[in-house]
Amino acid sequence: MVNYGGDEVSALVIDIGSSSLRAGYAGDDTPKAIIPSPYGYIPPSALSGDGDATMNENGASEVAGKAKSYFGHSGPSIWRANMEIGNPISDGLIADFGPIPALIRHALEDVMHCTASEHPILVTEPSWNTQANRERMAEIMFEEFQVPAFYIANTSVLNTFAAGKGSALVIDIGQSVASVVPVVDGFVLRKGLQFSSLPKLVHAHARHLLTTPNPVRPPAELYPYQLISSKQAVEPNAHPRYTLREDRLAGTTRSWREWYEAREVEEWVQTVAGVLDQGWNDQLLQHRQHKQYEFPTGYNAWFGPERFGVGEMYFHHTPQLVAGNPDIPKHIPGLITDSLKACDPELRQVLISNVVLTGGGSLFSGLADRLGSELARSFPHFKIHAPGNPIERRYGGWLGGSILASLGTFHQLWISREEWQEHGKAIVGQRCK
Amino acid sequence: MASAADVRSILSLPANSSPAAGPSHQPKKQSTVSTRKPEGISRELYSLIGSSAPALAAQLAKPRLKQKPNLGGGGKVKWEWRSFKNGARSDSLELGHWVKATDKPNADYQFAKYNVQPTVYEWSQDEYSRHLEDSEWTKEETDYLFKIAHEYDLRWYIIHDRYEYPNGPTREIEDLKDRYYSVCRKLVRNRTWAGDEASKSQLLLSFQYDKEKEILRRKYVASLANRTPEQIQEEEALYIEIKRLEQNERQFKRDRENLLRTIAGVDSGLPDIVEDDATLIVADPKKKKLKGMDLDIPQTPVLTAPVMKRPPTLNKNAVYDATHCIIRNDPPPTTPATKVAHTPAYLRSFKIPYPKAAIAHKVNALLTEIGVSHSRLVMPTQANCQHLESVIDAATNLVELKKVLDKVNQDVEVLKNRLELREDGGDGGSVADAIETDDRGETAEPEGENRRSLSVMSARSTRSRKHSRRSMSVSSVDTAVPSSTRTGIKRQKRM
Repeated sequence: MVNYGGDEVSALVIDIGSSSLRAGYAGDDTPKAIIPSPYGYIPPSALSGDGDATMNENGASEVAGKAKSYFGHSGPSIWRANMEIGNPISDGLIADFGPIPALIRHALEDVMHCTASEHPILVTEPSWNTQANRERMAEIMFEEFQVPAFYIANTSVLNTFAAGKGSALVIDIGQSVASVVPVVDGFVLRKGLQFSSLPKLVHAHARHLLTTPNPVRPPAELYPYQLISSKQAVEPNAHPRYTLREDRLAGTTRSWREWYEAREVEEWVQTVAGVLDQGWNDQLLQHRQHKQYEFPTGYNAWFGPERFGVGEMYFHHTPQLVAGNPDIPKHIPGLITDSLKACDPELRQVLISNVVLTGGGSLFSGLADRLGSELARSFPHFKIHAPGNPIERRYGGWLGGSILASLGTFHQLWISREEWQEHGKAIVGQRCK
Repeated sequence: MASAADVRSILSLPANSSPAAGPSHQPKKQSTVSTRKPEGISRELYSLIGSSAPALAAQLAKPRLKQKPNLGGGGKVKWEWRSFKNGARSDSLELGHWVKATDKPNADYQFAKYNVQPTVYEWSQDEYSRHLEDSEWTKEETDYLFKIAHEYDLRWYIIHDRYEYPNGPTREIEDLKDRYYSVCRKLVRNRTWAGDEASKSQLLLSFQYDKEKEILRRKYVASLANRTPEQIQEEEALYIEIKRLEQNERQFKRDRENLLRTIAGVDSGLPDIVEDDATLIVADPKKKKLKGMDLDIPQTPVLTAPVMKRPPTLNKNAVYDATHCIIRNDPPPTTPATKVAHTPAYLRSFKIPYPKAAIAHKVNALLTEIGVSHSRLVMPTQANCQHLESVIDAATNLVELKKVLDKVNQDVEVLKNRLELREDGGDGGSVADAIETDDRGETAEPEGENRRSLSVMSARSTRSRKHSRRSMSVSSVDTAVPSSTRTGIKRQKRM
């Protein structure tokens, strides 16, 4: 054990992302608790007179006045009358700290069944996190969870560590933000930090593709299965025959509906969409297989070239699109170019030969190959580290945190309770560089 | 019939206390006592085969199994959850971890030793104003630089990335490094040094920083990185072209050589063709391409090609040859380029002249006498070789002349003896016999010899020289050896 420099002090690692919150013990290879970041809540106005006691068994807690909140796997994804969906994360940053303690508490106490005050806790943050945000996180940990020690580490750095490197160009494609971050010797080069809300654009494009009428097939209706009472098998591209649960429609909130529709689109993207590994090519497209997909309504269709159009958005924006939206988020090659431009010329070769591809969005079929062919155009020597294991790819940040927090040499970096009480918020900025 | 007791008394056996136990017990008991079960036979088997167990079984017994590995000293290890203090921390945080119960409870934290702090340089206002003044830097900014440099453990790229001095000019990474190292240098130089000079100069060396060189290097790196794809492609295409040309040329040369060998014979001794890659690489790309075009059409390798090439080079390089001591021995242009006429390249030291084999011994002796070693020339230049050759020639001549002289002298002696015998009128048989045997093979009329003149004798001496040449043992030293031994040797040779 000493040989690996590891010394486990039963630390906990919490990695909060746009789509899910990962928590687990440092030293493990997968997080123990993976719960969705969005949560359901029933506003006090709707709650009055409504005896919603049946759904209480899992993850229900009181937050912000009398609003009833639901966290975890049985939280937002279960239909409840008048339940709104909120997501504390926006653009990778924690925008609303209100539900964060409850969310973390749910992960630690309800899923992992451990007590936070007994474990040092390492929390991750995106590279563009603000000073106020990390201080607030430290405050929550020390004041609300009474942790003995705390540290906040950068996801890009942790992804670098998870790939077993000290320096890397981390390309992280998440649910809402795609970022390209140069990391040197375990530090983020802030001048080279680039990120854009590209995944959102891709998502919007996919949604548009599905819901607009098409000469070949009718538009897809994105009703979630919770709202469908019955359906019949239909031919591909035929209009679906289904009946909705009229009793639920009235109590369905707009935010829940939108969240679930987004989930449907995302599922379609992850299942069907892909990207050509050598760039857009009409001839090549003809030879690619079509894929069938069935929506909860029973509507199903074969998707041909259009499924590659979705993935193409990550790498190329048509001139019309650019002309239409002047502040369109940068695509990945653009992010990489800008990031490297801001770095020292001597570092560029180091970085480009240590590209780490991570994030759930990078699991898009063919994305790693395409990234390789894009890089090959401008860089003769490059190397992409893209773990084949989807767990490692999706939870790379958590994994790096798990490695870091179980290192013997790391234990001198924890911000202890004593230091927090002595120095206050300033210690966070001093210690976690 | 005698009773059992009688029989016992006859056989002087002890009396049987219980007759019921009887004779049935007796033999059984005996057998168990007398023959013990041998080692290595199972009890069941032994009871079946009894005492007729093969004696060999004892050796075959007990298969020796491999010893079980002894892992970790055996037994279980007890682990304990203990809280520990980290010596690298300044506060009193106690974390817990699992350790072996046998470990020392109050040992230092094993990872604390990796917390290595670099030496921090500080200075007073006075020191700064005396040594460290710089028009580009204020004291405050220098302080800031040192603070941030140590905060990030001299990781300069990070320092440069995080360097934000309010209202300061933008600094390049070279500026920061140069300032840091120059301040360190000045401080080390001007302060009293506790250690020895060597460690001081070594420390100074580690603070050496050449800003101009670093900037130049960065420029090179940048220009290398900023090549357009076209330039890179062109470079690569040229590189591949060179490789292809080299390969072509090598192939061509190999083919030509093979062809020449086939025509001129395997051992024609054609010199191996030296590959002139160097010239290829040095030549500029445009030329290379042209050259490549030429080479793409392989010329038919003609046999006389190397011969034909030579005369012009000879004329052109006469001066060059003279300055570089090159001596050409060309075959006359009329000689056909055949195997016989061809002279392969050789080392001059291989052609050092040797004395004729027949008299080599005498010549060698002579040369050693005058202190010349013919077998090894320290510097076998053309001139030296010529000198040696002339020396050896002279030596050979000398040895041969000496031999002729000896022979003549001996002949004269012999004739004088015969003359004396004649004049005495007596019969000097023994001596005559000796002479006869001496000349047995050459002439059948020993009598006629007497009448021969001196000129005839010279002819004989040459003949006898031939003999001596054949008999290797004869040297200039044993010319005085009695004639009887010489005849013996001659007889042997003739047979």
